[in-house]
Amino acid sequence: MKNVPRLLTILGVLLSVIGLVLWLGAAVDKGQPAYFWGLWLLVAAVGVHMVRVYLVSGRRELVDLIRRSARKMMVPLLGVGAAIVIGGILMLVTGYDPVRAYGALIYGGLVRNWHISVLNAAPLIFTALSVAFAFKAGLFNIGAEGQYYMGAMAATWLSLRLTLPGVVSIPLIFVFAGLFGVLWNIVPAYLKVRTGAHEVITTMMLAHTARYLSPIFIRANGGDPAFSTHPYVTDTIPETVWLPMFKDFLPRANYRVHTGILLAVVVALVIYYILYHTTIGFEIRAVGENKDAARAQGISVGKNIFRALLIAGFLAALAGFNQVNGLDHRLFENLQAGYGWNGISVALLAGGHPIGVVFTGLLWGTLDAGGQYMSRTTQTPSAIVEIVKGTILFLVVARYIYTAIGNWYRRRKQKKMIDSSIAAAEQVGA
Amino acid sequence: MAQTVLETRHIVKQFPKVLANDDINITLQEGEILCLLGENGAGKSTLMNVLYGLYQPTAGEILLDGKSVAFSSPRDAIDKGLGMVHQHFMLVETLTVTENIILGAEPGKGPQIDYKTARRQVQELSDRHGLRIDPDEKIMNLSVGLQQRVEILKALYRHAKILILDEPTAVLTPQEVEELFTVIRGLRDKGVSIIIITHKLDEVKAISDRVYILRRGRVEGEQRTADVTKEELASIMVGRDVVLTVERTSRKVSGEPVFSIEDLVVRDDRGVPSVNGLSLEVRPGEVVGIAGVDGNGQSELAEAIMGLRPVESGSMRHLGEDISHLSTRERIHRNISYVPADRHRFGLVLPFTVAENIAIGYHDRAPNSKFRGWSLDYAGMTKHAEALIGDFDIRTSGPSATAGNLSGGNQQKVILAREFTRDPSFLLVSQPTRGLDVGAIEYIHSQILAMRDKEVAVLMISLELEEIFSLADRILVLFEGKVVKEVRPEATDEREIGFYMTGGKERTA
Repeated sequence: MKNVPRLLTILGVLLSVIGLVLWLGAAVDKGQPAYFWGLWLLVAAVGVHMVRVYLVSGRRELVDLIRRSARKMMVPLLGVGAAIVIGGILMLVTGYDPVRAYGALIYGGLVRNWHISVLNAAPLIFTALSVAFAFKAGLFNIGAEGQYYMGAMAATWLSLRLTLPGVVSIPLIFVFAGLFGVLWNIVPAYLKVRTGAHEVITTMMLAHTARYLSPIFIRANGGDPAFSTHPYVTDTIPETVWLPMFKDFLPRANYRVHTGILLAVVVALVIYYILYHTTIGFEIRAVGENKDAARAQGISVGKNIFRALLIAGFLAALAGFNQVNGLDHRLFENLQAGYGWNGISVALLAGGHPIGVVFTGLLWGTLDAGGQYMSRTTQTPSAIVEIVKGTILFLVVARYIYTAIGNWYRRRKQKKMIDSSIAAAEQVGA
Repeated sequence: MAQTVLETRHIVKQFPKVLANDDINITLQEGEILCLLGENGAGKSTLMNVLYGLYQPTAGEILLDGKSVAFSSPRDAIDKGLGMVHQHFMLVETLTVTENIILGAEPGKGPQIDYKTARRQVQELSDRHGLRIDPDEKIMNLSVGLQQRVEILKALYRHAKILILDEPTAVLTPQEVEELFTVIRGLRDKGVSIIIITHKLDEVKAISDRVYILRRGRVEGEQRTADVTKEELASIMVGRDVVLTVERTSRKVSGEPVFSIEDLVVRDDRGVPSVNGLSLEVRPGEVVGIAGVDGNGQSELAEAIMGLRPVESGSMRHLGEDISHLSTRERIHRNISYVPADRHRFGLVLPFTVAENIAIGYHDRAPNSKFRGWSLDYAGMTKHAEALIGDFDIRTSGPSATAGNLSGGNQQKVILAREFTRDPSFLLVSQPTRGLDVGAIEYIHSQILAMRDKEVAVLMISLELEEIFSLADRILVLFEGKVVKEVRPEATDEREIGFYMTGGKERTA
């Protein structure tokens, strides 16, 4: 009996790992989603976790947990719901059929083209983790796009040159790409600590620098129009350094889906651990919440700004690694993906929580993939999806509006109470 | 007798928990310089904000030239000829003098601003009142004294007949104070009536014609300045009655000082040396109280001791070693504890839990962390916090409660629990009971005395004289960054301390 909670923990972890792998590796197989039931394993894992909480801490704790989670999810879910309604009204007004369009959006994003959703989500999760991590230190790493490009270039460069077996070279490239993102953020971190130059300005300017470095890099690595038959693209990297495909171990998986998404989930878990279970994370959060109090307790503000921005650079650069070694296997010029910029939205939507980022990243990826499918099959402009995304973000970020309304209401009630008590006192006096 | 231009009748201002003004009656004559004297929290600023339309009085009325008026905003007050120069200037640093002066009252038609006229008007105004200033200079390039001049011009530009100056000399150098006084006298001679809010006795004597003394929201006295001495003013301001709340036995303290400071100079954010040649010693088992009016270098001293502000010159020794170049972390690890005056800004990370707030600073050692300080040990942290919540009687739902949701007294107890249990050899306590209710004050005082009884050297900075008298074994009076007087509490009274606090000089017999 004593071992039951422990067994449940193991069962829950197993269920979620298998469920996650199957679900994310899922793809269409003759129009039917393969391994889609992986999702139900995930749901089962959540159920197992709740049973465990019930057994260990009792009923009250479980109810409390559910209530707390519900409260946390309420604002994002309300935002998504309201945005869908607003988008629907917009479609009605402009003469499209919202039911058909949304049907296509959901079918395309979650079933038919689920593999595209997953492929979209992986780089977004990395850049969003980067933004979220810096956010915890009170910093706004708006230039994740630049670190993403640096990571992509570094990954390509090393991939084209390494001749070691994949087991060795892939981790090497992973670290190498990350370090270039770190390198790219040293300058903003130094300027922030030394001169107070705002990281929004410096990282954004460096983002553009990195972007315009990429054509030069591509010319130097096989993309030269004078010699190459395929200009504006680097040479293809050797197959030994490609990230493993889901197809390698799940025969019915889509042939394009690579394991970068699993890497993203693992990195999200690691970031969660760093932030909430290490002293480094504790210091970063303390600096982010109140740097004066942190300083008074001997926590160096400058050191933690450095840590936060450098780790953020590492994370954003991994998005580049993911795209080069996982999906494209080469670096394209004029890659207008904007994963760096979109990562900001994804991080904001998740409220800066590393685990939340996984879900909001998947949501964003699904909306993009489903939106494409929708516009192709129902001739509804995909701009509708952009509007829905913008509205979601607005409604979620605007949760401060809800707080402000709540505060105003409370203050008014307080003022009324004071006024009436003064009036009462005056009457007594008279 | 000159005409009365401004009068308040039975002004009462009630804040949710404080009665800031209680039946205030004052009058202001035309062409007179009036001082409002009082300690911090005596209600001076509240009264002025009521006059200026920033607050609505709870009861009472304001009469301007004999007619009752009601200001719903500063705009109304300005229209009726009132001008106010705040302690913290309200200027746009990147704009020029002229632009700042005309801001909100721009000459010209419609959306166009007639800069030429504006510049000429500002120039004329400054010539007429002898307030020399370059109308085209940017505010950020001006000294504090000149910025104040711009504030005065701003009021005059709006045709102020009554000028209110809130602590006008607080940020000025002695020379600038002299210049300001010349300007003020010039304005009086041109018929402007002036109210100066201050807590400095010298100023009252130097500039004013008449003075009202405020204490605890009430007018305690009204005097012609010529007829009153500084000592008399001090005694009215501080109050004769000395209340000792804690029975305290004087102790004999021996032994080498645990902590000492010699000729310390520390600059404030503006670059002015606000701690200026300060020396002190604290021995084990004594509470040394630093008395002084706010803004005489208290916060800079505390920050310098904790390594939060660079030391310009001088030395600080802890257990015989010079610590003036150590980092804050190194000082904390030498068992120096600090209870900051501003607990929300420096004391607590409000969104963190109680347990995290108790751990912070020692978060990289047992019981708060494991694996050589790399990883947090939430179980150990929570257990430690639970024990301290019990020991210090912190009223909270538990270690995982958010610190921001606690009451002020319980927040302070969290800080005490953190700092007092780190086995300090030297304890720096700054305004430990600010804003707390009586019960919490009593508890915190008893805890400080308990630390003293454990032979801890305690340095306490406080603005409350009562607190100093009930806890300190030795009192150092701080004035303009220096210790101007050292006394034992049994050999003095609040009146004498108040006299030295406000810049009174030693009487030569």
